[in-house]
Amino acid sequence: MDRNNFGKWLRSPGKMAQKYSLHALYFCTGCGIIEIPPSITARWDAERFGVIPVATPRQANLFLITGYVSLKTLRFIIRSYEQMPEPKFTVGFGSCPLNGGMYWDSYNTIKHLDKYIPVDGWIAGCMPRPEAVFVAVTHLWTLIDKGMADGYKKYRENYQYYRKNQEKILGKLEWPPLFSKNVKNEEYRTIA
Amino acid sequence: MRELELYFGPQHLGMVGNFSITLNVEGDRIVKATANPGFLHRGFEKLMEQRTWIQNFPLVCRINVVEPDHMELMYAMAVEKLAGIEVPERAQFIRSIYLELARVGSHLFGLWAYANMLGFDTVANWAMYHRDLILDLFEELTGGRVYHIYIWPGGVRRDFPDGFKEKIINTLHTIGRCVPDYDDTFFNNRVFYKRAKNIGKITHEEAKRMGAVGQVLRATGMKQDIRKIEPYAAYDQVDWGIPARTDGDAYSRIWVVRDEMIESVHMIFKLLDKMPEGEVYNKIPNPFKWNIPGKETYVRCESSRGELGLYLVSNGGDKPWRAHFRTPSYNHGLTILEKALENESIADVGNIMISLYITVPEIDR
Amino acid sequence: MKNTEQSLKENLLSSFDDIQVEISDERRLTIDCKKNSVVTVLSSLNNSGYDHLGLISCVDWIKDNALELVYILTAYTEESEKGKMNILVKTKITRDKPELHTVMNIFENAEPYEREVHELYGIHFIGHPRLTPLFLEREYKIPPFRKDFDTRKYVQEVFDPIPFVEDKKGEK
Repeated sequence: MDRNNFGKWLRSPGKMAQKYSLHALYFCTGCGIIEIPPSITARWDAERFGVIPVATPRQANLFLITGYVSLKTLRFIIRSYEQMPEPKFTVGFGSCPLNGGMYWDSYNTIKHLDKYIPVDGWIAGCMPRPEAVFVAVTHLWTLIDKGMADGYKKYRENYQYYRKNQEKILGKLEWPPLFSKNVKNEEYRTIA
Repeated sequence: MRELELYFGPQHLGMVGNFSITLNVEGDRIVKATANPGFLHRGFEKLMEQRTWIQNFPLVCRINVVEPDHMELMYAMAVEKLAGIEVPERAQFIRSIYLELARVGSHLFGLWAYANMLGFDTVANWAMYHRDLILDLFEELTGGRVYHIYIWPGGVRRDFPDGFKEKIINTLHTIGRCVPDYDDTFFNNRVFYKRAKNIGKITHEEAKRMGAVGQVLRATGMKQDIRKIEPYAAYDQVDWGIPARTDGDAYSRIWVVRDEMIESVHMIFKLLDKMPEGEVYNKIPNPFKWNIPGKETYVRCESSRGELGLYLVSNGGDKPWRAHFRTPSYNHGLTILEKALENESIADVGNIMISLYITVPEIDR
Repeated sequence: MKNTEQSLKENLLSSFDDIQVEISDERRLTIDCKKNSVVTVLSSLNNSGYDHLGLISCVDWIKDNALELVYILTAYTEESEKGKMNILVKTKITRDKPELHTVMNIFENAEPYEREVHELYGIHFIGHPRLTPLFLEREYKIPPFRKDFDTRKYVQEVFDPIPFVEDKKGEK
């Protein structure tokens, strides 16, 4: 660590620990899963950025949604997202979760993922290269420093609107609501 | 003993692809397994009916994400048969070389998945690295690493650039020099033998009754390969052999994959020697106003997973009337998997699923 | 010297009297039959060596008010004379309340194909043990692969009206 980062570390050790160990959840959602194994193996090593795949949502910090989302998958994405502990970050990979992509007229895919779970950043491409994953991770670090990567806080504050959208598209949901009332941001403690 | 119902669901460390299996277990032994596909269903064939003949090419690639090249070949061959277009000689040779490189890359991806499942992380890293070297070749030839829209009705899109033939030979020598290392570390390893022998065993009659094709069939003893029965591209101009084994379990299937990779590499060298000069595509009529006469056709080829087929119907317009892909993972994943998982232990579910060489987007389309 | 497809055509025409056989290309045979004789034609072809059911597909001819089912058979063999033959068995049924007998007794791998055709086109197969949904998550009023189901209108009605979630400060 050099002299420039030492001051930042003294001011917020929690943010430093959060940034440099983003553990990604291992969930192969769509066709983008082709470019994830090259980025975690030896040639483009993701572990030097702190990113490794983990087995369960309870151990994960980062959710990479690789590719298009169909109606059956959306149910499992919402359940996995709600099981992850806070603070958590979501990145949409590819152009299909952004606005439907190439399957804009299909009856079984979701067109805008933003309406159902909060997303912090997008990576454009079809498929994006493995280097694009690392550009996204370094951009996420600057957002965490400035305090702008707050998708999970928005989920907590506007939970009734998200739940209404999820029920409109999926019908009756089998799990009870995660938050019983709207919690104001000052009423719970975050790390740093 | 009590019976439990477990979900080997889509979010699982042992699952490559978005697929779910419902297991009824008694202790550690599986009593019944049910496959639940449908997580990747896009309604592909309905989308193909709403785009013109040329606009379907970027869409057809994305049915099988690991190896998109045979899908392009099928659609191009079917359109050429309906419209009556000929392909020049040099383009047939280029198509064969391109498809064999894709086959080697796809087998290396399967080796990554299988070695990771058993715990051999070193071999998995080597396999992914060698596949990246092949993807570099594709990027220089076509411009994209994963989805290359290169095969066109009437030939291929462009010729080899200068010095490309030497680059192919150098890359294949780099990969071929490491085959003794692969053999010592993985294929001749005592641990792999104990984990894969007699696991997921299928007899020859069961395989024929349940519609098995590809490596699953060749590991039970029958040497059937569409490239020898109905030759397309330049496969009848070089001589090559079909590897096969007789046991029908996971161990034989992975050995058949290894033998096929070595056979493909030898085939590429022979094809590069025999390639003639000439042009690489015949012009098609104006794509904006291209109407194809009303007929139907069924074409087949041998992709890296087995026999791939396309049934294409046209009614004289500028869009297809019906396109239906017959993919090899359909029977393997929905009929054979439920039979091969009976009486196995939970620790072997991922082992059997990856050795049957199932790619999930092919099932759902 | 007759080749394979001509001898097969003569065999079929002599055993069944209400089918039409046509040689469409080299090593390609197309058989048109009525819906009640599909099972007998398929089992006689299975006994003469064509034991690989490749595909069960369905085509919607909306102008003739008919759905057409296509069964594609090839042979499991190592020799190339018989292995090159592709046989297409076609039959037409009506569009309202379509039903047909299952072929699972002859070919065991027909089970997922018939489930898929039932779900996407609405054809009922008599005698099938497990006609449950395979790919789709919900029921649609018109089966989605028929020609009168408009996907772009469906997307406009179902997916577009859902609003974006707005923050207290008015941003998305």
